[in-house]
Formats: sequence, C-alpha cells, structure tokens
Amino acid sequence: MKYAREKINKNSGKDSPYLPVKATIENAEDLTARETLLTITVDGGINYQPGQFLMAGLPGHGEAAISIASPPARAKTYTIDLCIRNVGSLTAKLCALRGINTIWLRGPMGRGFDMPPRGEDILFVIGGMGIVPARSLIKAVIKKRKSYGKITILYGIKTGSELLFGKEIKQWQDSGAVVEITADAPEQEWQGKQGVVTTLIPPLDIDRRRTTAYLIGPPAMYRYVVVPLSEKGISYDKTFLSLERRMRCALGKCGHCLIGGVYVCRCGPVFSLTELTDMPGAI
Amino acid sequence: MIKTLFKKDALAGLIEAVRKDGGEFVAPTLVARQASYKAVTDAAAIETDYIVPQNSFKEVLFPQSEAIATFKEAGTNMAGVEVNAKDTVVFGSRPCDAASVASLRSVFTWDFVDEFYTTREDKAVVISIACTKGDSSCFCTSVGLAPDATEGSDVLLRETEDGDFSAEAVTDKGKTFVKKHKDVFTTCKAAKEIAIFEPVKLDKVDLDKVGESLADTTHYDNDKMWGDIARKCIGCGACTYSCPTCHCFDIVDEGSFFEGERRKNWDACQFDFFTLHASGHNPRDTQYKRWRNRFMCKFKIYPGKFKTKGCVGCGRCVRVCPVRLDITEVMEELS
Repeated sequence: MKYAREKINKNSGKDSPYLPVKATIENAEDLTARETLLTITVDGGINYQPGQFLMAGLPGHGEAAISIASPPARAKTYTIDLCIRNVGSLTAKLCALRGINTIWLRGPMGRGFDMPPRGEDILFVIGGMGIVPARSLIKAVIKKRKSYGKITILYGIKTGSELLFGKEIKQWQDSGAVVEITADAPEQEWQGKQGVVTTLIPPLDIDRRRTTAYLIGPPAMYRYVVVPLSEKGISYDKTFLSLERRMRCALGKCGHCLIGGVYVCRCGPVFSLTELTDMPGAI
Repeated sequence: MIKTLFKKDALAGLIEAVRKDGGEFVAPTLVARQASYKAVTDAAAIETDYIVPQNSFKEVLFPQSEAIATFKEAGTNMAGVEVNAKDTVVFGSRPCDAASVASLRSVFTWDFVDEFYTTREDKAVVISIACTKGDSSCFCTSVGLAPDATEGSDVLLRETEDGDFSAEAVTDKGKTFVKKHKDVFTTCKAAKEIAIFEPVKLDKVDLDKVGESLADTTHYDNDKMWGDIARKCIGCGACTYSCPTCHCFDIVDEGSFFEGERRKNWDACQFDFFTLHASGHNPRDTQYKRWRNRFMCKFKIYPGKFKTKGCVGCGRCVRVCPVRLDITEVMEELS
C-alpha cells in the first residue's frame, strides 16, 4: 500500500521524529461552545496536503492528532488553522489558553487527499467534526473553482448549535458550491433540513463517470453512507474516506492505530473505499 | 575438534571486564524468588537454575519507560534527549528471547527509524544458553525455532557435563566480542555437551495454515468463533507485558506544564482505552476484538508485513495468563 513517506529522520537530539517544533498561536476564536479555531504560524512553514494531520501538544498536557483545517498555501510563512473540540485535558487547555501562545507540532503526518482530477464533479459527504479536515480540501478546491465541475457539499450535524464555519459556508455557496446542511436532532428554532446526512444522497443528480466522492465523518456515518453512494454508481476507487484513530507516535511504531497490518497514521488517514474493503475492522 | 570453551569460573572475570569498560552486564538473577533479567555486578548473583526468566530482555533494548524529550520554562522550551545507551551484555538469554530481537528491530526500523531502540540494540551483545530443560508451556519447536536455535544470538553457549559451556560465535558482533575477551573464551578439545531439551512439538499447529486462516478476512465476520476463543480474557495485559515481541507504547508527559519529561511507556492492546477515540467511539469495543488483534499481530502482521516472527514460543503468555487462555490452543484451532 502506498503511503506518504517522509525523509527518514535521525532520532538523536533535535532531529528526533518524536520531538515537536515550536509554533506560535496568533489567534484563538471560539466557534461554538465546544470548538475553538486556532490560527498558528510556524517558522519556515509546513508543506502539507489537505487531509493530513499534525500531532499538536502542550508540554505537560500531552499530544493529540489534530486535523489541519486550512488549505495548503504556497508562501513560505503562512498560517495553519487547527480546530479543537474540547473533549479532554489537552483539548480543554487548548480551548482556554489564557495567555499561552506557544504550541508544539509534529508533522504533517500521514497521507492526505490527492486533489481530484481536472474537470471532475466533486461530492463531499461530511458529518460533524469531519468539516474540519474537509475544510482544508474544500478551500483548496474552491481556489481552483474553474478546474472542476459541480461541487456538492452535504453536511450533517446533530444540532444547529454545532454548525461550524457557518459564514464561510455562505462564501463557498457564493463561489458556486451547492451546500446542503441537515440537523439530526435540531433545536426548535432550527430552520433548515432535518434528518441524517444520508437522506440527502438519494435525491442527488450524480454523473457517476465524472464524480469523486469524499466522505469525512464519524465511523457510524460511513456505515450508512457507503451503500446509498455505491447505489449512485460512484466507483470505490473514486470514493475516499478519512479514518479516525487514537494515535500516539504517528510514526508507525506505537501500535495504537494498527488495523490488521495497516498503520492508519502512515498509510492513512485517507483511504479509498477499495483499500478499505480489504481492511475489515476499519469502519 | 577444537572448540571455544567458556568456563563457568570465568564469569566473574567477564563481568568485571565488561563493567570496567563502562558497560552493563544483564543476566538472570533472582527477584522475588523468580529468575529475571537484570543488571548484575556479581557472578554469584547469576541464577543458573531457570527455564526462561519471568521477564523478557526486551526491556534492555526497549525500556518500559524512557524519556524522549524534556520541557521547561512554562511550555516554551522543549529539547530532545540523547539516547543514553551503554554497551550491554545480555548473558544467559534463551534462544527464544534472542529470536525476538529481529522482530522488534523490524518494527522500529520500517519507515521512520526509532534510534531510541536501534542505538540500544546496536550496543547489545546477546549471549544465549541453549535450553537443557523446559516446561509444558515451552513451544519454540512449534513456531519454527529450537532450544538451541542461533537466530538473534551473538554467541550461543551449550552446557557441558563439566558445568562449563562450549561457545559458538554466531554473528560478527559475537566474534568480535569473543576475540576481545579471549582470556575468558578459551579453547579446548570437544567437551561433552548436555543433551538439549526438546519441548513437545504441537503436531496440530501449522503456522502457514494459521496465517492463511487469518489472511482470509471472512474470519472477522465470525464473531462467535472469536467470542468463544477469547471469552475468558479479562484484558489484564499480562501477556503483552511479558511477551518478547510486543512493542506497543504510549507517549505521555510527566511533570507539570512548567517542567517535566515526555516519555515513551509500554502500553498494551488488551486495554479497552488503547483504541478509544476522543469522541467516545471505540473501534475495538469488546475484549474478543482486542484479543483477536494481538493474535493477528503475532501470526499475520509480523510475518506478513515485517517478515519476522511474531511469536517465538517462549510460553510466557501461557504461564502468566490468569485465566489459562492458552495461545497454542487457538493456534491449533486455526491450523
């Protein structure tokens, strides 16, 4: 299986692949009650693909695998967005920094999304926090809007208050992307569609010969999305999923993300559906 | 025939010579009445009456806990840690344990190279003693090894009837070591060696067939089979900690935000939170899936991905299991 192979790092002293680099938090914006968007600069920049992730940490609080939320840029020094959901001790700290502006990063790690071929229609099926790695690819695709056909974004959330990047989604719509949002268990004041994200798939008009699909969401979503999508005739080779796993080293050593011989941290987190059919236990 | 002889009386001299050069001498010694690999300074402390030590010597190459970075100044300063590896002699290893070195190396050197491991391994000389006794848990012959296998040993010793050892330098590292310590490795006419212990070969076990059964991924749908196999497992992780080829680890920060260390600590795939996501989802949510993962790791992932042995037949997991979940019975079932 292919995987993005970085140069083999020496492990002693400052070149250790276990040793993070220092980065500066330029801005922290609370997006919802639970999610905070950190804007980070790294000296020298980081070259990455959409869909790759960073091991982000604070000394004393540990490290966690966090998806990159911003599209790759060409400039040498550019900012990276990380969207953090407050679920544990490290993320709680990252969401309430109180004067801390140093974050430590290792990466980029893993194999991200390849850009879709020119002229292709693109379908995103996104659930919950999946919007974070998806945003990296969506923004990269919208930057080259003219190179692609239809761009359809289906975004499922639990409640209206969990909607992320609401303002940006309007901009995506203005640049010609079709965005449909549905809430599974919305509040009374929710104006939009109600139901799970899978319900948005059957009415779609999909040209199966020229559509690439990206599925980014929780494992439960994948189980229910794969069937209606394959009924639409999109080939398994052109359906890509981003897996979530607990990771510690992100270097293919520690064993946490291992699925029957495949290290998600090195060979993934992005897999085509064809690859996943050989990986029982992945979803 | 002229053979290299290692006299038992020479052990004290060897320990002294190794330690004088700043090295460390690791050998089985009694810890709470059990033979365990541990650094020794005195030949008298070395235990000779043992089958396999209760721990494997992987902790010499891959410590149970080691610092990989230090931090200070309220999170603004973080630095790497130089691997502090001494020249180490592991004396009295068993051939099964020695065979696990290649397996550990294959994991720590594919893709990224983990120099915390390789530096230690490069500086270690493994001197094994062929087994003249064993117990019913030993099954090295069923995984393609033998009580006098040379794989992974730098020097292999065989006990002689006089209580000495005839020595065979297996690797270049071993030859250099024997040459360097030629005052303790003497030559003599062939001494009579004690017969090697032969563990019972489990006739029903066929590793190729186990591999084939696991490669056919339909076994993942057979929840009943795996459920029945691992029903007894309580997820204590004792098998993983005692296993010479288990290599999973966690990375944790110890100390406070202001000052401390980032450490690599052994972890075990048998624990329920080993794969637990931040979201609360757990891809291996039941114990049989975790037990299946370990079995897959031994008999499919190691031989398939890394082309090395996942199981060396030392039998520790059989001995330590509190519920007597015997891995050899599962190997038989899948053969």
